[in-house]
Amino acid sequence: MKVAGVIMVLVALAVLTLGLKTEQVPGANESVAALVELFDGAITPNRPKLDYAYVSVERGRDIVHKGLSKDGGRKSRQQSKHFTCLSCHNVEREDPDLARSSAANRLRYAAENEIPYLQGSTFHGIVNRNHFYNGDYIKKYGELVEPTRENIREAIQLCAVECSQGRELQDFEIESVLAYFWTLELKYGDLSLTEEEQRIIKESYETGRNKPQALALLQGKYMDQSPATFVDPLTSQNDEFSSFKGNVESGQQIYELSCQHCHFNNNYSYLLLDQEPLTFKYLLKNMDKYREHSLAQVVRYGTSPKGGKKAYMPLYTLEKMSNQQLVDLRTYIEAEAGL
Amino acid sequence: MLRINLLFSIGLFLLLSVSAVAQTQYPIFNDRKIINSFSTETLDKGMLDFRVAHRFGDMFGEGGGWPTFYGLENASDVMIGFDYGITDHLLAGLNRTKGSGALRQLVNTYLKYKIAGQNDTRPDALSVAFLGMTTISTQQKSEEATSINSFPKFAHRMAFHFQMMAAKRFSQFFSAQLSLGYTHRNFVNIDDINYVLNIGLAGRFQMSKALALVLEGNLPLRFETVTFEPTVPLGIGLEWMTSGGHVFQLNFTNASGLSETDYLSYTRSQWSEGQFRLGFTIARQFRIR
Repeated sequence: MKVAGVIMVLVALAVLTLGLKTEQVPGANESVAALVELFDGAITPNRPKLDYAYVSVERGRDIVHKGLSKDGGRKSRQQSKHFTCLSCHNVEREDPDLARSSAANRLRYAAENEIPYLQGSTFHGIVNRNHFYNGDYIKKYGELVEPTRENIREAIQLCAVECSQGRELQDFEIESVLAYFWTLELKYGDLSLTEEEQRIIKESYETGRNKPQALALLQGKYMDQSPATFVDPLTSQNDEFSSFKGNVESGQQIYELSCQHCHFNNNYSYLLLDQEPLTFKYLLKNMDKYREHSLAQVVRYGTSPKGGKKAYMPLYTLEKMSNQQLVDLRTYIEAEAGL
Repeated sequence: MLRINLLFSIGLFLLLSVSAVAQTQYPIFNDRKIINSFSTETLDKGMLDFRVAHRFGDMFGEGGGWPTFYGLENASDVMIGFDYGITDHLLAGLNRTKGSGALRQLVNTYLKYKIAGQNDTRPDALSVAFLGMTTISTQQKSEEATSINSFPKFAHRMAFHFQMMAAKRFSQFFSAQLSLGYTHRNFVNIDDINYVLNIGLAGRFQMSKALALVLEGNLPLRFETVTFEPTVPLGIGLEWMTSGGHVFQLNFTNASGLSETDYLSYTRSQWSEGQFRLGFTIARQFRIR
């Protein structure tokens, strides 16, 4: 009996141990940021300060989606009269491969998932990033981008004041927005990992060995910043123009998922871009001109806020709309205009 | 002579009692007004439309020509006011006009509701809208008992207009509107009667993305004999839309007044006599929601 008892205890211990080990394997819903913190040994500064008064995920969601919040009985003022965060940013995943930026892949993914194709980076996984307003954004905002480049709170504030031409967010609002962003963080299952890579990460996760290798593997699977390259407009006068061949289907996707996101049904602009031949003829007529009404110019340079008309159009970086896509858009417009 | 019209109250009830749904995608007309007449268009919820309109004096005829620089030195009517989108299909408006008929210094308030075609996203959409308008004259009271502005009672300062409009977009180039209206003035001159019915016809010819030609005519009807000869207000205008939310319009019309309670009842001038005028309207939308 004693032997049987000892065996039972041993079996129970073995099951418990196995069970614990099973729980330790990173699951598809495991937080990527938590894994990075585990391997790196440092807490990310992007974590929200939840002990602030009035901070909540719901408030953050309201600010991002509606521009104001009534959560917790404390109604906030409209952040911007002109835009909400969703004017230029998605909250869904928009890159099929999180490790590299590809405008063509992102457009295909946007069309498949029926999400807008926009100038700003998605908020999905934004808290997993460490750098903001990257690359050429210094050409647009000058020294204003300096404090934002490694500080997500400063980046949110710059976006509120400059990009959306609105008021400054208060501290509890920024922390609420951050709290909401954390609901959109990357999960382990979002990453494209081979079996061997998963084995290395699992081993490090369970044993605590080879943390730098596991960390590098993890961080290599998603971009910790969004590159931003400003380029000049591509018009038919450019030598480079003839090297592209337009694709009507891709152009239509851009027109519907990108242009009409703002220019339809008075969403954010009064300039109606509908499906009428008159509209396409208007776009085509102005295409190669040196003015704001030229699609080629406005995509690359955007427009500027003016006194009395602060709503403006942000530019598309090369990463957010490639020159090939611009030619595709032009080809679609030409086809719809009857040329 | 005093007949407070219940029709306006019924109209208001109708306007307020129908719930709003989604926005028609293709505008049938570019502006909430065609020239002087209301179109079926409303504003999106939370949009404010600031409006200024001006009608100069007669270009030719007795009051026009070189002495008045073809009417540009006279102002037959001036309007300043705004429209606001309460819902996507219910619009409220408030404006002040100088007035050019018997009653002057008019404050006009109105509600317009798009009752049909709200979900019509087809390029050849049809829409129907109702409008109810109340006008109050803020003109100084006259001591002369026979004068229309003697205003024995406050209600005598008031006039009402109720209108139904049906508009159809036949193509990207052409839209048309038919309207039926009823105007009631509480206090009128001895040679006039309180009501005026009107049948209106209007059209928009879109010439390019930004430019359109608009035409309108309103036939005023009185089923009783009056001693004067009312004329048909006819207008033609060139409309220019900008991408910044502006609609500019230059027009020529024989109507000297700007509000429905004014020009539909008091137009006496004739195109054939050179009694038409240059006018303009500037509208600018603001998003205030």
